[in-house]
Amino acid sequence: MSLLRHAERQIANLGKYSHLNAFINVADHESVLARVAASAESSPSTDNVNARSPFGRLIAIKDNICTADLPTTAASGILKLLKSPYDATVVKQLREAGAITVGKTNLDEFGMGSHNLHSHFGASKLVRGGEERSAGGSSGGSAVAVATGQCWAALGTDTGGSVRLPAAYTRTVGFKPSYGLLSRWGVIAYANSLDTVGILGQNVESVEGVFDSLDFYDPQDPTSLPPSTRSRLPKQGSGGAKTLKIGVPMDYNISTLDATVRKAWLRSLQLLQARGHTLHTVRLPATQHALSAYYVLAPAEASSNLAKYDGIRYGSRAEGKDGIPDSVLFAKTRGEGFGPEVQRRILLGAFSLSAQAIDNYFIQAQKVRRLVQQDFDNVFATPNPLMTSQPEVDGEGVDVLLCPTAPTLAPKLSEIKGQQPLHAYMNDVFTVPASLAGLPAISVPVHADEGVKAATEEASAWSGMQIIGQYGDDRVVLDLAKELFESASPGP
Amino acid sequence: MLANNARRAFALLQKRPYICQSCLRRARSLPLVHARLPKARTIQTATSGAQTPPNDDAPFRKVLKDAAKQKKKDNRSASGASKKSSKAGDARLEKWELTVGIEIHAELNTARKLFSGAATSANATPNTHVALFDTAFPGSQPHFQKETLLPALRAALALNCEIQHRSSFDRKHYFYQDQPAGYQITQYYEPFARDGHITLYPHDFPAGVCPEDGPIIIGIKQVQMEQDTAKTVQQPPSTYLLDFNRVSHPLIEIISLPQLHDPVTAAVFVRKIQTILKAVNAVTAGMEMGGLRADVNVSVKQKYGQSTNNIHSYHGVGELGQRTEIKNLASVKAIEDAIVAERDRQIDLLENGGVVEGETRGWTLGSKTTKRLRGKEGEIDYRYMPDPDIAPVVIGQELVDHLQQTLPALSDETVSTLVDSSTYGLTIKDANTLILLDDSDRLDFYYDVVEHLRTIFSEQPQIVSRLGKVAGNWVLMELGALFKNEEWSPTKVTPDQLASVIAHVLRKQITGSTAKRLLSMKFEGDARSVEQIIADEDLFLSPLTRNEYLHLAQSLVDEKAAMAKDIVEKQQLGKLKWLVGQMMARSAEGTVEPATAEAVLREILHLPPMEQK
Repeated sequence: MSLLRHAERQIANLGKYSHLNAFINVADHESVLARVAASAESSPSTDNVNARSPFGRLIAIKDNICTADLPTTAASGILKLLKSPYDATVVKQLREAGAITVGKTNLDEFGMGSHNLHSHFGASKLVRGGEERSAGGSSGGSAVAVATGQCWAALGTDTGGSVRLPAAYTRTVGFKPSYGLLSRWGVIAYANSLDTVGILGQNVESVEGVFDSLDFYDPQDPTSLPPSTRSRLPKQGSGGAKTLKIGVPMDYNISTLDATVRKAWLRSLQLLQARGHTLHTVRLPATQHALSAYYVLAPAEASSNLAKYDGIRYGSRAEGKDGIPDSVLFAKTRGEGFGPEVQRRILLGAFSLSAQAIDNYFIQAQKVRRLVQQDFDNVFATPNPLMTSQPEVDGEGVDVLLCPTAPTLAPKLSEIKGQQPLHAYMNDVFTVPASLAGLPAISVPVHADEGVKAATEEASAWSGMQIIGQYGDDRVVLDLAKELFESASPGP
Repeated sequence: MLANNARRAFALLQKRPYICQSCLRRARSLPLVHARLPKARTIQTATSGAQTPPNDDAPFRKVLKDAAKQKKKDNRSASGASKKSSKAGDARLEKWELTVGIEIHAELNTARKLFSGAATSANATPNTHVALFDTAFPGSQPHFQKETLLPALRAALALNCEIQHRSSFDRKHYFYQDQPAGYQITQYYEPFARDGHITLYPHDFPAGVCPEDGPIIIGIKQVQMEQDTAKTVQQPPSTYLLDFNRVSHPLIEIISLPQLHDPVTAAVFVRKIQTILKAVNAVTAGMEMGGLRADVNVSVKQKYGQSTNNIHSYHGVGELGQRTEIKNLASVKAIEDAIVAERDRQIDLLENGGVVEGETRGWTLGSKTTKRLRGKEGEIDYRYMPDPDIAPVVIGQELVDHLQQTLPALSDETVSTLVDSSTYGLTIKDANTLILLDDSDRLDFYYDVVEHLRTIFSEQPQIVSRLGKVAGNWVLMELGALFKNEEWSPTKVTPDQLASVIAHVLRKQITGSTAKRLLSMKFEGDARSVEQIIADEDLFLSPLTRNEYLHLAQSLVDEKAAMAKDIVEKQQLGKLKWLVGQMMARSAEGTVEPATAEAVLREILHLPPMEQK
């Protein structure tokens, strides 16, 4: 099938699945197709339908990543009309690789949420078996767009699981690279020290192809990994030829783990063992504190990062007069512009940074974060290239970890709508540790049972399995993800 | 090696194409524009606050005179005021000890902003030098400009600080429309410089208020780098325009230890810091334009006896009374007056059995007392957080050593050289003026003139000893007057030309007024040498004979008999000067010397001879 044929089908799906609300703004269909046609013409060889190359492919961009052609809203009322004068570096890199941006995808406001319910533009969602289900958050729109064929691949952002969780819920592949590999210049900050651009695709190849286009040093991003450090990272993975030691973190086998998910986890381990890899149980004791640490640190940074939104230099202001003589001129604007979850996290963060609480919350959480990272360094066979001193590895150490991405399958919207916020936070329990440590992690869809055909009513029994690697071992993670993806697929 | 690197960095900085060239030009010309007024006078403005700017047409000498007068007046009234306020008073100050700590913010002299490549600017069209990050645009990130460290390090070294190998940046949160990110990036947890001090010498104090117990050492707790805010331009009644050119202009904040015990000393401390920062080329001209901002902490305690109140400790200095903070003082005068007002308020309060609250207070120029802004419960919690986007700054010892070695001479050493050495012998005031003018270009020029003169008169020791003082007058007064409305340039009249003019006067070859005319001809671009002009225009002094003098004087006395009578009988000696002027006016230029003319006049009128100077 040609590039243009793919694009036409994806454009058609935009209309077909518009009720899923995956997009906030969509590029003009005709000009998108015209650009695909031009690409196809300029490179008429068969290579242009390469499964990996983003050339001539439609890519959706999460709407917290700046684009000069379409508005960038972060799904917030306060930025609902924002036009960025510049493209984020990752968008620029994709355009240079020949990709065509098809639109800006829905998300939880500023990336804060686990079900994509907290969007100024309404929830993005899944429909399975006639029931509305959570698309996961915060990159829910990107995941739905990929899952329903409205694009070839999509960019998301992952701060505590925001790419991996939606991938797990929507039966797509979601990859969060090592922190610092992909540029954040032009990515609207939620929690800078955790924010990572992530990639969603229908298979590992497309995700890897996009990753190849973005994995470069960017001087515009002060946290971009410099070339000197990049040169110390492994250039490529094993290509699947090497047998890996796969760690099974027993601390992730929690009592509230959904039985279907546990079944898929076991099946994944068996599949990989059958391919010659070895399994090893490991302990990550700090994991039990990781979620609490994350929900202290991320809101703290968020409360700081979101202080800039006042509607003065850009963005929307509240109607009428704002401010009283004794206050700033944007109290009302912020009150109206931010949704309830964002307000909640700003308040949480402002509290944990306050003089009375910083020692017991922010500082403690930073210590936990360090422990979480040490946990990982303790179990991986390869040393962390960012650390100067290395901890003692227990035994030989493992190459990667395999665990579920989320403790449950995609929940029904009807079940989560009245939930306490804390319930939603629980969905991030398995994804947050890799975020705190800055490690590469990917979610791969695996069905609990063998021989299941795609897109049946049983499709809802697809779980996300997460592979986590040592810092910089992104290729190792991608290679194993390909093996798992292939062996778990029902076949053509 | 390192020196080369540093030099290359400086050269690069100048060549960077994306630094707005017009701004750099403007920045260069700025101090020159202000050189119209001698800097001593500008600082004076800061001291006196409410003074009106001098008429631009006023002769340079008059400007200086007025400045000196004003200074005397201020000193009188300042000491008078403090005496008055403590009349009740003096005894109270015997009983109570004042303790002051000061935080000073100064704009660093850098080409670019602290966290973006945008150029810094002083008077550019609003919002023309603003990078995405400066407006806190979504998705933008800080780009720390390493070069901004150089003036900051020079400042810290000049303040005798220990440069920290590692420092880092934190976010200080507060909402205000001039703060686009909702936080200021500053150095709270790990400042780049700590544990410095400066020494206040007698010459730093205004005449008559120098403390008797010799030099005073004031500790500097730390120096930190931080961002400036946007400029708010009010458009009454209810419009506020924001100019983001100033956002993220690099500042340093200098925090003193609470070791100041006198309002005058506090003022001298701030002025001295200004002078030091300027001497090492660390700050923009903006500081004299009102860019100085300071916060002061004030507390009092009983000098003798135990007081249970003295339980507070600030920056490791213990046994102090409860302090208050007075924010946002914009001049040296304001600092001094606010401290006096707050000291007296606290003493009043305590003597009447009250308690000083730890609170933030404000002070406006001209007011008698400080005003409560907010109490402890209203304190802003800045929620300091390390900035996750900015890597720690690591400063190598080699760079510190290099900057230390190349640090310009500090004004203390220069002042004592100019005042105490036999080569120069200037007054403290003239020495300070020379140092402050045109980034010390005027001082270099002065050194050159003296050097030329010393060569010319190397055989005449009696003249050599006067050269420094004479050259100082010509450089500051006569040449200064010519540059009143122009940018200073050391090439319009070169040091050797001025030295030649002065030498002719000292040899009595030309009169003083001829010399001034010569100077102004050279200034206007006459290409001939000084000697050539004197020869061409026949300017050599060809004195009248004694008989000619007597004849001229006698005819004048006869003509103005009434005046002569007043002079003799009423001792109205001032009128002698008028007669001298007449004698000069009635003769060819360069023929009448005022001193000889006056001597002859006195002779005819049977007055005692002039006192020898």
